[in-house]
Amino acid sequence: MTRKTINTSALILLGVVAFGIPLVLRSPTYLHIICLLFFYAYLTTSWNLVGGFAGVLPLGHSAFVGIGAYTSTVLSLQYGVSPWLGMIVGGFLAGIVGILIGLPTFKMRGAYFALATIAFGEGIRVMFENIETLGPLNIRGPRGLEIPPTHTGFVNFMFNTKEPYYYIILVMLIGVIAFTYFISRSKLGYFLNAGGEEPEAAMSLGVNVARAKLIAMAMSSFLTALAGTFYAQFTLYIYPKSVMSLDLSFEIAFIALIGGRGSIAGPILGALLLRPVSDFSRIYFGSSLPGLHLIIFGTVLILVMIFQPRGLQEPLLKVYNKLLDRILQQAPQGKAGHEYS
Amino acid sequence: MNILEINNLVKDFGGLRAVDTLSLSIKEGEILGMIGPNGAGKSTAFNCIAGVYSPTKGDIFFAGKKINGVKPWNLCKGGLARTFQIVKPFRSKSVLYNVMVASFATTDKTAAAEEKALEVLKTLSFEHKKDERAGNLTIAELKRLEVARALATEPKLLLFDEVMAGLRPAEVDEMVQIIKNLRDRGITIFVIEHIMRAIMALSDRIVVIHFGKKIAEGTPQEVASNENVIKAYLGDEYVVS
Repeated sequence: MTRKTINTSALILLGVVAFGIPLVLRSPTYLHIICLLFFYAYLTTSWNLVGGFAGVLPLGHSAFVGIGAYTSTVLSLQYGVSPWLGMIVGGFLAGIVGILIGLPTFKMRGAYFALATIAFGEGIRVMFENIETLGPLNIRGPRGLEIPPTHTGFVNFMFNTKEPYYYIILVMLIGVIAFTYFISRSKLGYFLNAGGEEPEAAMSLGVNVARAKLIAMAMSSFLTALAGTFYAQFTLYIYPKSVMSLDLSFEIAFIALIGGRGSIAGPILGALLLRPVSDFSRIYFGSSLPGLHLIIFGTVLILVMIFQPRGLQEPLLKVYNKLLDRILQQAPQGKAGHEYS
Repeated sequence: MNILEINNLVKDFGGLRAVDTLSLSIKEGEILGMIGPNGAGKSTAFNCIAGVYSPTKGDIFFAGKKINGVKPWNLCKGGLARTFQIVKPFRSKSVLYNVMVASFATTDKTAAAEEKALEVLKTLSFEHKKDERAGNLTIAELKRLEVARALATEPKLLLFDEVMAGLRPAEVDEMVQIIKNLRDRGITIFVIEHIMRAIMALSDRIVVIHFGKKIAEGTPQEVASNENVIKAYLGDEYVVS
């Protein structure tokens, strides 16, 4: 047995377990929580294409969730278009908006970029909150859109039980993980990492840093918008504060930073660790201490940044690799390449 | 044929003229050295050639084409690579990863880029460090990494900006040998260097600049005995008359 076969079988086992969960766990409440966990893992993995690989800190990604959610919902409510189709339309729309936001902001560095993306994200939310109609489209301002749960079924992306939602978001999550894995090992992934770390050196080595970042931004906003449609169909009610809030953008960034931005496992790990915290603090302290989860996140983030600036995935991966070494009973043969990527 | 030709290059930063009507040319397969006191404008001239700055006045021709204001990444794809005086490695990544970023300049496939990068590391006898994180390397190794990355882009012309600064004498000799080997492989080389022993041993010709202007040009021997050069470096009273 080699390291590779163990890794692959562990991943397959994880997949099987993930697909088996609804067979064992029948409680809709818990399934709902897990669906949201996957939703956040998905969002963060999409965010990671820009925020992780390209080394910038976008804090306006909820705008893309909102664009995805609103596009598919408006199209299905007003024109009877299947949300699946609306999902793709929303994705492309978000991709275009992503490029438009990226064009001026990628010239900025560090905190300025983060601030500019917050401004764009908040701008879009305020706009949606203050207008009733956008041309022929009815978006109903702050009241938001309700999707009447009349026509359930796959084509309408609407179900009476949680299981179908669970499988949809699981497949989406696996898809986006596979996609980012593929990107991280492609030319674009190398260029993004290089451009994020030392832009000048990267440029002199043939990397058009600005273009690489824009491509990543387009992909990231496209993928993020797909999750917006999922969220709209999952909750059947969207309003600007629910799908475009700054809190959502921050939570994505929190998960990525604590889990480990720039790595494939980081966002998943971050969501696994942080989502339960926020769910349980909302269930048990929601009335007495609202927002407790954000305080916990902040504290955890400070500790992680001090002791593990690369996020929690690094020490956990080290433990995992050591465990593997012990199982294989051989001397560690150098460090595996994926530790740095 | 001249692979690089610079005609009356001027670069101003506000009121400061960093490079002043500089003209020079490099023949294919040549090693040209550039020396000059600190602040003479050597690195600025380099940055103009490499596309980091666009010249205020004057023209730069690379392989017969005018390259004023051409972006660095396009120059790199055209066969012009450079190293940085202050090394700029991708610190969190492995040595192999660093070199692979560069070898993607010639291919789109990850496997091909890896193969190319390994080949470059082998020619620089640097293969044993391929999995080391670049942030953990010594300064000598970082300089070598700079060379490896520049080399992996398959350049016709290599600009070396003080690749030997901070090295021990034995390491300098190694680097001189590496650069000579590169020339033997057909790469034209333009070096800025402060270590006289190295630049004298390396260069076919040397250009000396002072306050942005060219004050001497010739073989290492000619330059070393040139009055203007001694004045610029040591002061008037050292000129033997």
